[in-house]
Amino acid sequence: MDESTKRLLQRLMRRIQTQMLRTTLDKWGRLTGEQLRSMDFTLSKWALTEKLLAICEENELAVKHITELEMICESDVIDNPSQGMWYAFQLMDPEGTYYDAHSVELTQFKEQFKSHLRELIRHVSVKIKKHTDEAVWIRIAWGDTFSRPNHMKPTYVVHYLQTPYVFVTSLTSKQKPLLSQALVLSTRYQAIKDANLSGRKLTAIRDLLMRQYHQVFPTRYPAPIAENDQTVSNQHIEREQAEPAANRLQAACEAFGGGVLPQLQSAVYKLETKFRDHSNKTMTEREEPFKCVVKFASTNLLESLRHCASSGIASTPVTPLLSSIPLKGKNYFVITDNGPGPSSQMRQPQN
Amino acid sequence: MVVLKSLPGVDSGGGATNDDAAAAKIQKNPQFVLDVFISEATQNKEKDLRIMDGASTKGVLSHLSLLEVQARSRKSERQQPSRVKELKAKAEALRTQRDQLKAEIETHKSLQKLRASMDKQCAHEEEEDEEMAEDSENSELLRLMARHTQLKDLLHAHDIIGGYSVIKTRQGKGLCVSVTTAYNGVYLENYNLEMDLKPTVRISRDNIPPFIPLKSLAEQSNMQTDIRTLLDPLSQHLNAFAARKQQLKLVKELHKSVKVMESNALCSLLVLMFTVPREKMAVLCSLEYTDHTRCLPTRVHFECEDQGLPDSPEWKKNGSLLMETPVHKALKTMKKMGDIV
Repeated sequence: MDESTKRLLQRLMRRIQTQMLRTTLDKWGRLTGEQLRSMDFTLSKWALTEKLLAICEENELAVKHITELEMICESDVIDNPSQGMWYAFQLMDPEGTYYDAHSVELTQFKEQFKSHLRELIRHVSVKIKKHTDEAVWIRIAWGDTFSRPNHMKPTYVVHYLQTPYVFVTSLTSKQKPLLSQALVLSTRYQAIKDANLSGRKLTAIRDLLMRQYHQVFPTRYPAPIAENDQTVSNQHIEREQAEPAANRLQAACEAFGGGVLPQLQSAVYKLETKFRDHSNKTMTEREEPFKCVVKFASTNLLESLRHCASSGIASTPVTPLLSSIPLKGKNYFVITDNGPGPSSQMRQPQN
Repeated sequence: MVVLKSLPGVDSGGGATNDDAAAAKIQKNPQFVLDVFISEATQNKEKDLRIMDGASTKGVLSHLSLLEVQARSRKSERQQPSRVKELKAKAEALRTQRDQLKAEIETHKSLQKLRASMDKQCAHEEEEDEEMAEDSENSELLRLMARHTQLKDLLHAHDIIGGYSVIKTRQGKGLCVSVTTAYNGVYLENYNLEMDLKPTVRISRDNIPPFIPLKSLAEQSNMQTDIRTLLDPLSQHLNAFAARKQQLKLVKELHKSVKVMESNALCSLLVLMFTVPREKMAVLCSLEYTDHTRCLPTRVHFECEDQGLPDSPEWKKNGSLLMETPVHKALKTMKKMGDIV
């Protein structure tokens, strides 16, 4: 194993949590049972790393095997602190009929993607794997004309076949056009655009965009939504406020969802509207729009917004500016004077 | 004939003094007697004639004319009783009809009252029944009739909206439609569509999975005028998807010896691996469901090391079995036939 591979493994080991190590190595399957048993998981991470390095040398594993392990860490291990932000993209304008775009098979996609990407950039290492939840994970290590693929800074792409959604992390602006091209050609769509949704957790942005969380709709007989237990301060207040509280809760859940919500960390509103404040004449008189950015940040943004609505801090019905976050599956909005709602402008110029 | 019998004056036997005088005269003068006799006779004749004239007004002729009149009147009297009977009967019938109609109107009125109270009851289920003034048997019947009309109206409404559960939102400006999916008598997922009605009908929110082509179905439908042109195809797609998904789940649960090599989100492609019992050979079976509104495959393909196996009669039969029966049931049959492990 050469130095770069060793460094890759060391970096990987730093990121894996000790308690997940055994299962991860098991899934990897490159260690024999005996080797796995020989690892003492009570030792320090550094010691474990050394032991693992030795075993990998023994098995003559190469960089491609290590990248396998990395992919398992990224995709299979839940709540793995990811490398960074995940960004959502959407494929646009399917070619042909709906059936054509939906009939892209896995093997077809794999071959086409690899060949198209290799055509665009010669030195690239692509690894594709499909998961049980129909997600196709792609790991791309980019090189250029002179250097070999850099495995220390791979890009991960997750695509759900038969949906137009693609999630990407660690992609530079130089690499973006190449990836976009390869994706468009291998999925039979005609274009790809930024979906204006980003977050630290892939599962969260995926659930939001693909509507895989519990949504609440108005029904004839609304089931009582379990609210977190609050200490009953005053029975009289409780009795009086029971109905308005239930209505607020219903409105909040209809806007944001019921149960556990996808964890978003921020929402950004870029305002390009004219300044409006009658007490400040100088600003109001200006012709150009007043550029301003409003950012909401939280460990679980949707949960906090829902709580604002259900507790009465934000009035119900929830303003479309906030309810657009789950409705449109976006957390970046540009608001201009032309439309009342958020427009979907792109954050960075596309090719 | 006038019989000159006992002329008072001409009595030889006895006689009064007048007679005596007369008799004396007659004895004395026979001409005188004759004159008296003739005058007396003519006086009698005139009397008789006068009597006969009176009898002609109250006599035979008059009797005849009376009979004539009677006969005439009897003829005309014979028609009138039957006509009267007819008219009487008709009047009777009309009266009974009127009474019937009156009774029906009364029943209908009380039915409506009962129905109104029933409808109110359904909305606020705490209210108690109102008392009926009539006797219990009548009111029970009325209650049943009211319930019957209520259920009929409900069925009719259900037919109009095509069996979808729809409610109005935002004071009539919006709708929320709920589409249920079911397979094999088991209810599966519920999908919802929230729609705006003004200014145009459009979908504002939904929880339909992204691989169901909601947008293109909406574009192809006539939802501005008939919302069922959107809901019916959508329900077809969703139910077929739910059925295929359920079949895959059952294959995984019930047929552990069959390995699922590949599947996809829309469950429109399934690749299974069978093991043939005797030779322990593997057969790869691909099922393609290109018609997304159906839950049966449109193409079945077998691949095996033994090139001849897919063409053998048993496997050709298996192929058509897989095309016609849901996959989990087909596998059961194939196992029974001993074609697969």
